[in-house]
Amino acid sequence: MTPWFGEDRVLSALEAALSTSLAGQVEISATSRVAHHTRFAGDRIHQAQSITECQIMVRAVVGTGSARVAVNSLDQVRRAVDRAGDLAKARDGIVGAARPYDVADGVVVRDQAGLWYDSSEHWDVGARSRQAGAVMAEARIAGGTVNGTLHSAVTELAVVTTRGTGRYACATEAGFTMTVRCGDASSYIGDLGRDVSTLEVERRALEAIASTSRVREIVPVPDGVHDVVFGGLAAGELIGFVPDFGFTVPAYRAGIGLVAQRPGEQIAPESVTIADDARSAVGLPFPFDFEASPKRRVDLVLNGRVGAAVSDRASAFESGGVSTGHASIGREQSPEPACANLVMAEGTESEEDLIGGVERGLYVQRLWYNRLVDVETGTVVGTSRDACFLIEDGQRTKGLAGGRFNESVISAIGRIDGIGRQRITQPIPNIWNSCITAPAIRVRGFRFGTRSRDEESS
Amino acid sequence: MLASHQWGDVDRAKATALMSLVVTEAQGAGAQFCDVRLSETEELRLYAVTRQAPDERIEGNAGLGARVLVDGVWGFASQPLRGEHDAKSVALAAVANARAAKGGSVGRVTLAPREAEVGFYQTDAVVDPFRVSPAEREALVLATLQAASEEAGVVRVQAGVNAKRQHRYFANSEGSLQEQHFVESGGMVLAVAANDRVVQRRSYPNSFHGNTAAAGWEYVLGLDLVNEAHRVGSESVQLLSAPVVGSGFSSLIIGPAQMALQIHESTGHAIELDRILGDESNFAGRSFIARDAIGKLQYGSKAVNIVADATVRGTRGSFMFDDEGTRTVPTHLIKEGVVQNFLSSRDSAAREGLTSSGAARSDGWAYLPLCFATNVFLEPGEGSIDELVERMGDGYYIDDNRSWSIDSIRWNFQFGTEVAWEVRKGKRTRLVRDFSYGGLTPEFWGSVEATAGPEEFRTFGMPCGKGEPKQWGFLSHGASPTLVRNVKIGVS
Repeated sequence: MTPWFGEDRVLSALEAALSTSLAGQVEISATSRVAHHTRFAGDRIHQAQSITECQIMVRAVVGTGSARVAVNSLDQVRRAVDRAGDLAKARDGIVGAARPYDVADGVVVRDQAGLWYDSSEHWDVGARSRQAGAVMAEARIAGGTVNGTLHSAVTELAVVTTRGTGRYACATEAGFTMTVRCGDASSYIGDLGRDVSTLEVERRALEAIASTSRVREIVPVPDGVHDVVFGGLAAGELIGFVPDFGFTVPAYRAGIGLVAQRPGEQIAPESVTIADDARSAVGLPFPFDFEASPKRRVDLVLNGRVGAAVSDRASAFESGGVSTGHASIGREQSPEPACANLVMAEGTESEEDLIGGVERGLYVQRLWYNRLVDVETGTVVGTSRDACFLIEDGQRTKGLAGGRFNESVISAIGRIDGIGRQRITQPIPNIWNSCITAPAIRVRGFRFGTRSRDEESS
Repeated sequence: MLASHQWGDVDRAKATALMSLVVTEAQGAGAQFCDVRLSETEELRLYAVTRQAPDERIEGNAGLGARVLVDGVWGFASQPLRGEHDAKSVALAAVANARAAKGGSVGRVTLAPREAEVGFYQTDAVVDPFRVSPAEREALVLATLQAASEEAGVVRVQAGVNAKRQHRYFANSEGSLQEQHFVESGGMVLAVAANDRVVQRRSYPNSFHGNTAAAGWEYVLGLDLVNEAHRVGSESVQLLSAPVVGSGFSSLIIGPAQMALQIHESTGHAIELDRILGDESNFAGRSFIARDAIGKLQYGSKAVNIVADATVRGTRGSFMFDDEGTRTVPTHLIKEGVVQNFLSSRDSAAREGLTSSGAARSDGWAYLPLCFATNVFLEPGEGSIDELVERMGDGYYIDDNRSWSIDSIRWNFQFGTEVAWEVRKGKRTRLVRDFSYGGLTPEFWGSVEATAGPEEFRTFGMPCGKGEPKQWGFLSHGASPTLVRNVKIGVS
């Protein structure tokens, strides 16, 4: 795998395009992703895919007007610069519009440390196909099936501005997810990172097949309040809601959420620290955002206390602060700061230790279709899915069918009394180069099933 | 061709030559079948948010994707389009992927042979949204923002307009050659009100980033965004002090926007054949609907007639050919409550001995076609909303989705709405907040008593995520207000 643009080529093309600009300020960011996905289901690799996408986005500022124009070819960047400048000029002086923020200035850095791994670069379609074939064969022998995806990718980001900024970095990526099914029993595994050699894909797949084939009985999730051990993927799903509880500067400025309403308050045990940290070695580290702002670690929850909010250049400009490097433009969404590299601090226990500390409860490996219902209480609705088990006398016993939950995630993280030492990473949809990395957690008193409002108020 | 489709760098001659090159290269490398999607797209989005400078962007891209069958195994590759070398490159990469996948696959694909399909389609658009001046776009968005912000208690507003234009070309090794040209326009406003205890939101015309139609700027003007923004802002503040409904079972009239979500989650996804066959079980999930459900499964009441019809013009799910070249025809998915057909692709249909229902959709040139909804709607019944409210007697009129959750087989759902009005003795009374309802899919649809008439029918365009890597399907759902009895409410 090689980067789609390459450093010298993309920086020289962007710099050349900048030099032609007549706008007051211009920022150009170029992203690319060359990705290979081997997707399999049952007895066939049904989607062997190579997908290359790129975008070069120009933001021009003229007086009080600004505009962005994006293309997907370096040959068209000059045209995009002209068009963005024309649009910004046409918007200059419109009554009622706030002043746009400035582009970044003064930093020329090559940020490449810890981003590139040859192991991931060489995990090619042949190797992935052999692994997929091997796990499908093993599942058939065990009387089941396995469906999943193995992927590798190379990601690039380059940013230049008319105020002297130039940054470039490229990174490898590798990941997998698999669902094993034996009769009604199922299991789900996955992980994501820069270095495929740390993922142990085949070993974990074979373990999942073996453990799933041993499940003999599936029972419904009992409605009620349970002590629950969430595996790393399920814990990550829950932790992924934390930014929605008011951890962006726009939410803070609107007076919504924890940073605005309960700053510094102890909401969880001291063992709980949740940060957005793109400099962490886990997950998908990356040094800067597409506005060229360095990615700073922001502690959302530090030793159990409500921490700080993330910002981009627009919200930092509005609030008189400095961007924390969290610029994001989601597809079909307006630009807004977003947590993109969530990391929960690991604990000291193994997953079996966490389970051993539950007399009767649930082990939940995967959550699904989780949605925020109430930003103030942090209530989330969702369901459990593959690979959930009853815990009886500190042991996983019967398999569990999927069940619904309605629970406040803010309250739930306040009841964490055990944190695992192994962490797992999963992607966040619709945010560039984003992921959540979390360990298994044990939560005392998590409600599965629906409850009536009358029960809730009593 | 209409004026609003006359733009861009890729014309029919260029597209045809490039796609022909892809097919030739793929066949030369050993593919027995090849299809190619080539598209050129621009999207315009202007958003204004409280306290921030408006942000406008126009995003363009062009590229091509090739899918091949080599000895019964699929391979796919896509990349941005710069020139002829890209056509050769994707063809060879797709074949290489198929050859590599063959070693890991036991199962083989056999597509039903089919005649070549040649055709042309274009969206009707009166006013090209890309030719509206930046000042006019911005004036509308700022006026909308201002109108929604006027009520004390509103803490944050987002207003926006959007447009998209796309040239979409398709060819395959069976001789099909198709071109379709699309224009979309849309708008939105979202108001958030808050006090020290409660946060509420109201949106218009739909809660999923507004509404988008296959139409020109005339659609945006028809939304009457500024006047509706006043109402949205005011209702968001009223909700702060509205009571919360207790739990129990109640009759509901579900408005068209929430019904669109209900159809999407519990019908559209449930009836996708790739999901039913297990192909998507690792991510999007499976379905409670079995492979042998056609003509057998009582999915809903006799009032439930659900149709997939991309030939209806003006929606985000309107087209002539799907993304593997199947000509679309109106298809009953559910008739008088009984399953009639699936949303299928050539691959999934062939495995079940069926004909594709024209529901293979891909997110532009870069992604593989998967089974997605098209324009899937609940057929209207008779009468006005007022008549339906009177018929209901006591219950709630609810609309506009706030939260949605459904399990991975599309069986157990729980949805929340932005707004609900209590109905007593056939009249709407007070506003209530934080309304939620839930149930099991066949029980819910089996409790549908009636739907209002065609004059109350509305269509909503929305994006949908599926696949690995996740891609977006752009589709539409429609309904008239629908009366459902004995629904579990007040769940949390």
